[in-house]
Amino acid sequence: MIMKSEPATLETAQRYERLLASVTDYVYTVTVDGSAPVSTVHGPGCEPVTGYTPDEFRADQALWFRMICEEDRVIVLNQVERILKGETPSPLEHRIIHKNGSVRWIRNTTVPRKDTQGRLVAYDGLVYDITERKEAEERLRQANAELAANAQALKRTLEELKETQLQLIQAARLESVGTLAAGVAHEVKNPLQTILMGLDYLVPNLPAVNENVAMVLADMREAVMRANTILRGLLQLSAQADFDMKLDDLNDSARRALQLVSAQLIAAKIGVVRKLDPHLPRVKIDRGKIEQVFINLFINALQAMSPGGVLTVSTYVGQFGENPKVNEAGFRQFTRGQSVVIAQVQDTGTGISAANLPKIFDPFFTTKPAGVGTGLGLSVAKKIMDLHGAAIDIQNAPEGGVKASLIFQDQPG
Amino acid sequence: MNAEKKRILVVDDEAGITRLLKLNLEQLGDYLVRTENDASAALAAAEEFQPDLILLDVVMPGIDGGKLASHFQASPKLKKVPIVFLTAAATKEEVYARGGRIGGLPFLAKPVELSEVVACLKQHLGG
Repeated sequence: MIMKSEPATLETAQRYERLLASVTDYVYTVTVDGSAPVSTVHGPGCEPVTGYTPDEFRADQALWFRMICEEDRVIVLNQVERILKGETPSPLEHRIIHKNGSVRWIRNTTVPRKDTQGRLVAYDGLVYDITERKEAEERLRQANAELAANAQALKRTLEELKETQLQLIQAARLESVGTLAAGVAHEVKNPLQTILMGLDYLVPNLPAVNENVAMVLADMREAVMRANTILRGLLQLSAQADFDMKLDDLNDSARRALQLVSAQLIAAKIGVVRKLDPHLPRVKIDRGKIEQVFINLFINALQAMSPGGVLTVSTYVGQFGENPKVNEAGFRQFTRGQSVVIAQVQDTGTGISAANLPKIFDPFFTTKPAGVGTGLGLSVAKKIMDLHGAAIDIQNAPEGGVKASLIFQDQPG
Repeated sequence: MNAEKKRILVVDDEAGITRLLKLNLEQLGDYLVRTENDASAALAAAEEFQPDLILLDVVMPGIDGGKLASHFQASPKLKKVPIVFLTAAATKEEVYARGGRIGGLPFLAKPVELSEVVACLKQHLGG
């Protein structure tokens, strides 16, 4: 029996070791006198969780506190305080430093023990090791954060793709319109010439049968001129980068363009406010082409306003994406925050409806009455800006009316 | 009377345009106009007509206005005759941008009004 008992004892000891290793919770008891803890006894399960034996805890009564992660000590003390006051606080999850130096998460549930008078004499604490769960939670949190970041990046990429696609469609559209225009223009101009010369002949020769004759001839001449204006717009759309680019003063271009439409502005009773930065850096432009962009914007503003309206033309150095605020995805040539030279044309008209806003750069898109606009003004303006490597952004201004921004690279030096 | 009139040769493959230019210009009383719609026959027509000025279309079947202009300039009988291009291949903006000249020669962009044609003729006929 004795011979047999030795291996049996060993086996028991080994089983105990294995059991101990697999224990992830233990109980401790704190004895209280009055409202102060006097001693703490840690149950045998404390070793696998904390690395310290019950004896070590008994020998060093402050060990339990030092074992707590510094950042978590306050919440643990709060819990102790509440128990000592006779409350039953909810379980607390905090970190401890294991004897081997690793950080462990534990869940600490305390239960007060009271005497017959209801005075607190001790409390028991049940400690669960929840490290694995916490680590899994953390991994999940990180995975979630990563997923969210990926989703955000995907969303951004998708938006950029959509924007690029729109630009490509726009570019392809403009190109096909341009190619067609160049071919058609020549064929159409000759018949226009014949009609115009015919009118020049008829005006002095057609007997004035009635007063309408002169009016009809004038209407016909007007129609020829309008057709020719459309052709010119189309040819400008098809024009390639045959630009004479020089460092030039954007303020000068704005002023000259204002001069050219001044008669129309006066006739329409539109006031003009100039806010031109006198220290504006020069930008690389074809001044004639940029004047045309200004004129097209001025004409649009003019036609959008009733008498008494105000056209504001301003220039300044801004930071791309911030001042002015634009949908950056549409403008790859700029990076957020970079210094840009801005010319802004703002009116006090009725603004552009949300439905029309995406179409404003489409050739032949117009909201003006028949015969007033060709629907090419903004298409041409955009084409010219594109060929400059610059950008045009058109939005409804928060204060009403439309704000068109021409955005140029701030040339270094 | 005819001797005082300026002789204008109009070369354009569009018969409607040449016919109307002739009617309009001759109606003013100061011009005698000959028209030619066949570019390949224009040189012979010009040498025979001896114009004071040639109004010349640019894009024409067979031979284009630019080449025809160099033939006129190479002809001893025509080399001093001013040539004005009348073209549908350019816009008024281009005329303006190029200082009103193409290949060193003045030009008008179609569609052009009679008053502009007359102003241009007066300028290049030298009174």
